[in-house]
Amino acid sequence: MDCRTALEKIETKGDGLLPREEAAELAGHLAGCPACASEDAAISATGPALRALTGIRAMEMAPALDAMWTRVRAGVEEGREARLRPSWIARWAWIPAAVALAVLALLFYPAGTDRSPFHPSTFDVAVEDVESDVATVALVDKGEDLPRVIWIIEDAKT
Amino acid sequence: MPRPDPRGRAGAPALFFLLLLLLAAVPSEAADTVTVDVGAVYASNEGTSIDPTLGMIRGKLRSMFNYTSYRMLDRKRRSLSVGETGEFELPDRRSMRATPLPARGDKVRLSIRISEGPRNLLTTTLGLRRGGMVLVGGPPHQSGVLILIISAE
Repeated sequence: MDCRTALEKIETKGDGLLPREEAAELAGHLAGCPACASEDAAISATGPALRALTGIRAMEMAPALDAMWTRVRAGVEEGREARLRPSWIARWAWIPAAVALAVLALLFYPAGTDRSPFHPSTFDVAVEDVESDVATVALVDKGEDLPRVIWIIEDAKT
Repeated sequence: MPRPDPRGRAGAPALFFLLLLLLAAVPSEAADTVTVDVGAVYASNEGTSIDPTLGMIRGKLRSMFNYTSYRMLDRKRRSLSVGETGEFELPDRRSMRATPLPARGDKVRLSIRISEGPRNLLTTTLGLRRGGMVLVGGPPHQSGVLILIISAE
């Protein structure tokens, strides 16, 4: 391994990305090359220093970040509550509509016409009285499973 | 974290079901009202068609009368209180007046008057169960006769 290749691998190692096999090969080169070993020592020391610096900066910024996050969270909650709590008018507006619908149904129910086919449940009918001013009336009963018939015979017309 | 107030959402279905109950109560609202259904059927020997809207009555009509064709001309339905008279227009300037009379249980009593102009064709009082049916026929219509299917619920 030449020094140029070794320097590239030293940087890669500093980033923590050097494969184990190449690290062993690099270690062999560093053992015989004081210049590269010095470079390796410097770069190896830089990483922890940068991490420490980043930690310090993060600690310095933590209160400000916390405050900012608190404001963001409060804003999010406020918006959510506003969406979940519509005005009482919007919340109950459907009630008058439903009541109006029910009233309409009640009003029109008796006059509603049902065009479904006839399905009588019984043909049990008692004819209490029957009369006609202009016709002869016959009462026809052909059994319980057939409807009773009142037949109007109009002066031989029928 | 605040939760949405459940009262508003729970109240809506509750009121909806109340309305449904109210509507469901209408037909049974009472026993004081009678729904009179009158179908005017033209029976003749012109053709062999039987109106499908006659439902299960088709077979009954065929087995009771000798006509080959049955056609529903008109059908009217009206809810009437006891003592209230409802008028049903019939073909050929005829009309039928129905008045529910006081009755007990599931019985219905109907006073029926069918007239043709000033002529009284029929006056009768019927006692039937709710859901019952009676036929009134005979008045001529075109080349056949008119058969009225009267049912009460």
